[in-house]
Amino acid sequence: MTTQTQRTSVAEFRLLAVPLVLFLLVFLGFPAIVNLVYSVSQVSFETLRSPQITGFGNFAAVWNDAAFWQASWFSFRFGLLTALLECGLGLFLAIFLAPLLEKRSWLMAILMLPLMVAPALVGLMYRLVLHEFAGPVPYYLWTWFGASLSFLGPGSAFWTLIVVETLQWTPFAFLLFYMAYQAIPREIVEASAMDGARYHHRLWYIELPLMAPTIVVALLIRFIDGFRVFDNVYVLTGSGPGGSTASLSIYIYEAFFKQGAIGKAVAASVILFIASFTVLYGLNALAARRKGATR
Amino acid sequence: MINILRWIVFVLAAFAMNFPILVTLATSFKSARELTANPGLWVQAPTLENYATVFTVSDRLNIFLYLVNSFAVAALGTLLAVALALPAAYAIARGKMGERTLLPLIVNLRAVPLVIFAIPLYMMFQWLSLLDTRLGLGLILTIVNLPLALVILVNAIRDLPAELDEAALMDGATRTQVLMRVIAPLCRPAIVTGVIFGFITAWNEFLFGLMLTTSKAVPITVGASFFFAASGGGVQWGVASAVMIVGALPPMLLGLLMYRQISGSMTAGAVKG
Repeated sequence: MTTQTQRTSVAEFRLLAVPLVLFLLVFLGFPAIVNLVYSVSQVSFETLRSPQITGFGNFAAVWNDAAFWQASWFSFRFGLLTALLECGLGLFLAIFLAPLLEKRSWLMAILMLPLMVAPALVGLMYRLVLHEFAGPVPYYLWTWFGASLSFLGPGSAFWTLIVVETLQWTPFAFLLFYMAYQAIPREIVEASAMDGARYHHRLWYIELPLMAPTIVVALLIRFIDGFRVFDNVYVLTGSGPGGSTASLSIYIYEAFFKQGAIGKAVAASVILFIASFTVLYGLNALAARRKGATR
Repeated sequence: MINILRWIVFVLAAFAMNFPILVTLATSFKSARELTANPGLWVQAPTLENYATVFTVSDRLNIFLYLVNSFAVAALGTLLAVALALPAAYAIARGKMGERTLLPLIVNLRAVPLVIFAIPLYMMFQWLSLLDTRLGLGLILTIVNLPLALVILVNAIRDLPAELDEAALMDGATRTQVLMRVIAPLCRPAIVTGVIFGFITAWNEFLFGLMLTTSKAVPITVGASFFFAASGGGVQWGVASAVMIVGALPPMLLGLLMYRQISGSMTAGAVKG
């Protein structure tokens, strides 16, 4: 009797998951197959429906393309630097401002506001902010210091983008850390105070170690989002000057839409696809093992 | 004393992080003449003329179309994502179905550069005549919203005691009935959170709007840049600012009203995912 109901239960559970699985097969499974087939084919916009399988020429073309490696290096550096800056600033704000925010939670809404605005719009906003005639930043620099910078010029565009991304997404790191900080059991903190631990000792030996898992997760999320950046960089610098600010996402987009190099764009997509899933599943496995080890 | 320092840090951080929004808001109220004379943050003679220009429909620019498009695709992309995720989340949380395959696959999706799927989806949409349609863009935004919706709902259902299901099953209900009559109503807060968060994410999406739409289905994030080149000559920064404020306002208002739910869901997606 029980096995009977269990069996119908399993069938019914399967049925409930079917719509999602079908949707994923159509909108992710099919594109994945298209990616794989086209990456080993010769194809142009004219022969889109009849690709000719030719081998690994597209991969070789990507592999030998200096722009691909430049874009990879940009994405990696951009992801790493913004993740470190955002998490550093976010951690400081979360801990330093906690006494203020505990009493007035609406202050949180103000700090969270940048997260609500589309990164593409924020990028456009910075075109105004940094504009040499209409922008307030060059204006104030001129009035106060008698000099301004070319924010989107060859040497500085990268750092401008780093600041833009960091200012918009520090609130995300801040939010995660603030929640984790609030979740630290009061008894532990009080007990350590009773034992005479000083503030910075408590912070260093008790609170930060308890927040360590959240810090790792936040660094990871921010690295990934920085690595795959597209919107704000695309509207702010395109990929310029001279391709120096092309992220991998922009590299693939431009190969497809601007150069019509479909095979190259798709091959780069496949490389990125395999690389991301390898890293992600590796991290999942690592996390699962650590969880198992601590139990 | 240290509290004064805290306030100073708060004001500095809030000012720096919201700086582009403040600048754009101020500029949107400046007349064309004031803009050239005064690029600073203070508005001397506020005017609504930029907003009047933005809301005037011309043969090239139609802000209402972009806003309606954004609303329609965000609504579709959010509701469909939740509708697909809820039954699957139930199967995962209670039936232990796909806990080790489907769930990590979808959660990892949040971390994959979306541009990977953009090119084949572009080709697929060309075959299906879904390019430049709201339906097409809405379906893509469903994929974008699925990971977080699923994580939020799986966590919400796992937090409900299994005795609820068993009691209803004893009374002869099927699993589907349990889901619809018992679980779904109890998950209402999680569903609301998923919808708010999904709506904001979908409204703010840019890459797929840029790639898959050209005129009829253009969302506001893409349409806003049309106003930058509107007059042929240089950018009319007052008008451009007004467009950006209009485009950023809906998710900002949602965020201000619902910041509690949103902060909860962000941490849920991050920490438990």
